[in-house]
Amino acid sequence: MKTVRIWFKKTGAARFISHLDLNRCMARAVHMAKIPLWYTQGFNPHAFITFALPLSLGMTGERESMDMKIDETKITNEEILFRLNKALPGDLRVFAVTEPKLKPGKIAFASYTLCMEPETGSVCQLRKEWEQFLSQEKIITEKKSKSGMLTIDIKPDIRDMQIREENGKLVSDCILPAGSEYNVNPSLLVEAFRKETDQDFYCEYIRHGLYDASMRNFE
Amino acid sequence: MNPQLEKIWMKVQKPGRYTGGELNSVIKNKEEVDIRFAFCFPDTYEVGMSHLGMKILYGVLNDMEGVWCERVFAPWIDMEEELRSAGIDLYALESGDSLSLFDIIGFTLQYELSYTNVLNMLELAGIPLLCSERKGLEHLVVAGGPCACNPEPLADFVDLFFLGEGEEVDCELIELYREYKKKKGRKEDFLREAAKIPGVYVPSLYHVSYQEDGTIQAIEPEQGVPSKITKRVMMDLDSIYFPDRFVVPYLDIVHNRAVAEVLRGCIRGCRFCQAGFIYRPFREKSVSTIDKQCRDLCENTGYDEISLSSLSTSDHRNLNPLLDQLLTWTKDEKIGVSLPSLRVDNFSTDMMSKIKTVRRSGLTFAPEAGTQRLRNVINKNVTEEQLMKTVETAFRGGWNSVKLYFMIGLPTETMEDIEGIAELGQKVVDAFYTNPDKPKGKGVSVTVSASGFVPKPFTPFQWEPQDTVEMFREKQKHLVNCVKSRKLSCNYHEAVVSFLEGVFARGDRRLGKVLLEAHRLGCRFDGWNDCFSYTKWMQAFENCGVDPAFYANRRRSFDEILPWDHLDYGVTKEFLIRECKKAYANETSPNCAESCSACGAACFKGGICVEDRKNLV
Ligand code: SF4
Repeated sequence: MKTVRIWFKKTGAARFISHLDLNRCMARAVHMAKIPLWYTQGFNPHAFITFALPLSLGMTGERESMDMKIDETKITNEEILFRLNKALPGDLRVFAVTEPKLKPGKIAFASYTLCMEPETGSVCQLRKEWEQFLSQEKIITEKKSKSGMLTIDIKPDIRDMQIREENGKLVSDCILPAGSEYNVNPSLLVEAFRKETDQDFYCEYIRHGLYDASMRNFE
Repeated sequence: MNPQLEKIWMKVQKPGRYTGGELNSVIKNKEEVDIRFAFCFPDTYEVGMSHLGMKILYGVLNDMEGVWCERVFAPWIDMEEELRSAGIDLYALESGDSLSLFDIIGFTLQYELSYTNVLNMLELAGIPLLCSERKGLEHLVVAGGPCACNPEPLADFVDLFFLGEGEEVDCELIELYREYKKKKGRKEDFLREAAKIPGVYVPSLYHVSYQEDGTIQAIEPEQGVPSKITKRVMMDLDSIYFPDRFVVPYLDIVHNRAVAEVLRGCIRGCRFCQAGFIYRPFREKSVSTIDKQCRDLCENTGYDEISLSSLSTSDHRNLNPLLDQLLTWTKDEKIGVSLPSLRVDNFSTDMMSKIKTVRRSGLTFAPEAGTQRLRNVINKNVTEEQLMKTVETAFRGGWNSVKLYFMIGLPTETMEDIEGIAELGQKVVDAFYTNPDKPKGKGVSVTVSASGFVPKPFTPFQWEPQDTVEMFREKQKHLVNCVKSRKLSCNYHEAVVSFLEGVFARGDRRLGKVLLEAHRLGCRFDGWNDCFSYTKWMQAFENCGVDPAFYANRRRSFDEILPWDHLDYGVTKEFLIRECKKAYANETSPNCAESCSACGAACFKGGICVEDRKNLV
């Protein structure tokens, strides 16, 4: 028995499926691909797939991962990759199967790209307002938590913000806290901005990678 | 896909209904396609994606060279609003292209209450609703499915209907269409030619006149078109197309599993059941074909459950060998086998053990009527003794929840029959407690569910008046009052919904304007409680000066010309009259496996009609 970490992209139509649906879809694919799962008791394959960190609905995931226990005497990593891709819809693509190095519990940060597309007004204006918004001393937002709504300042959480214009879109790369301990969804930031600006825009989110507390790549 | 769509998806509930991109969905190169066919299911994605007929035809059509068949479902209210406000047409899931870019727009008509969705879907793509307003060959609107056996209420909107099973006739029509498209033919000429294809009904080529009392005077075909249109049937189920893969939804749909079709038609002849007559004759698939199809499906979808589907799966004469055969591989692959419906009379512990691996969602049985007398009237040949024996077996097997389906408003019904429903339910409760092997520490829960009877075309009850809404409500109330135990619960369908279904089931062309008016008033998703508006519908009838009771609550005489009299489903009127008279005399008829009742379906020269009955059940 060994644990493998399966790396995949979640793009296109697959972005719009919930975590629950993704779970079911993966379990079905694992079944169809006849991946020799390591069963301890019963046979509920769902329980044997654990995702590193769920992705919000609508977000593109460039480097998502899930772990499962398999019987390594029966299959190679290459074979897993090949078979899973055959069993998955085109918008879910496995690109690597590796041995897990870090535990999902160690995840502390994630990197994102936010693409804002102005519906009214110019990208230039949007950029000005976005930069102004980000330069405030505090960015107060409301965040859902187990104990109800919390009012928090997320300004100190924003790291490595880099802004550029691309094909009529305002593109911002940044790093935000992520993980089961403390997670800041980039939509918190964007929605807080939306409240302040007069401009109407559509925002697309891409999550690129995950990191531990010392910014080591989650592998 | 239109990038605007993405923004909308973010705003609606369950965007997975609208994105497409599922495993096994078919994407073709538009350059290599000359006929684009939109397969429209006038209900939600979840309902439509559970439908076997759609999966079959999706496969058949996409197997055709140069034809691309895509799926379209009715957008839920929130999505409809978003589409309208963004000015985006209703689109097909595979390409994201507007419905208006399709050559042929095909609807499947599974229930009458989806008719307003048909209109709404056309409107959402800016396609003119009336056939007469669609002058060209493009946007040919076609429809099939069980409701096509009386398609008259939709005659103003649908250019042509397919009667019976679609595997062959759909392809024949597409070939003809291709020819006309290539030579830029006229729609009228095309329709005339199409009407010659067996199983194709072009309503505009038939003229209906009415008498003073509102009944039909005559249905007259134009020169050169057949006076009777006979349905199509596929006689050899082992050689017909069956998909080796299904589109696998991301979302959890109603029936999210592999579905194997084991037989078509039904031997039973329950007098209320339209399906039991319009799908005749009874034909079976062989064990080896079913087994192969199940393997392919599981292989290509990853499903871990197979449902053996048909009108009455346990009537398959090789069901036990089939289950044994399936068990030889499904066990190892951790695949469960389920039967959608169980019959009361052949439910056994042996069978139960074979399908036990499947989730135990509780058992359902359909005695349909509360007393033996009424069960004889409807030819539901199930005795109380059989039912009790069955539930006892089930209780011994560990089940403790049973649901019983009944109908109210059946012909000749009295209040005594209503009381019988509650009494039967109570007997099932009692059977649980007197059972020495009952599951320990568990209580029992028995539900009786009563739906309102809707008389349907091509059944022996096609002449019957339907109970009025008031009568239904009185009977429902009586039923509730008769339920005495807390272990027994009771639910029933909205009487007004059954009434509307009754109107359209036996309606004629004059209902077209009512449908249009109801659509204008905003009716859609009438089959959904949260959308159905009786007030709007009554308004529509009033605005059009049409009396719905004329269609639902009037007794028709045997010699009245019925709106569907020019359509031929094999079963003859003489047979239906015979059956109706037997019903009045509380007499039952044998099922097709016991002996032939000469219903007329033998004209198709196959299935059980031509088999030697000696070795049948
Ligand atoms: S002809 Fe006879 S055997 Fe055939 S369907 Fe009719 S009643 Fe049944």
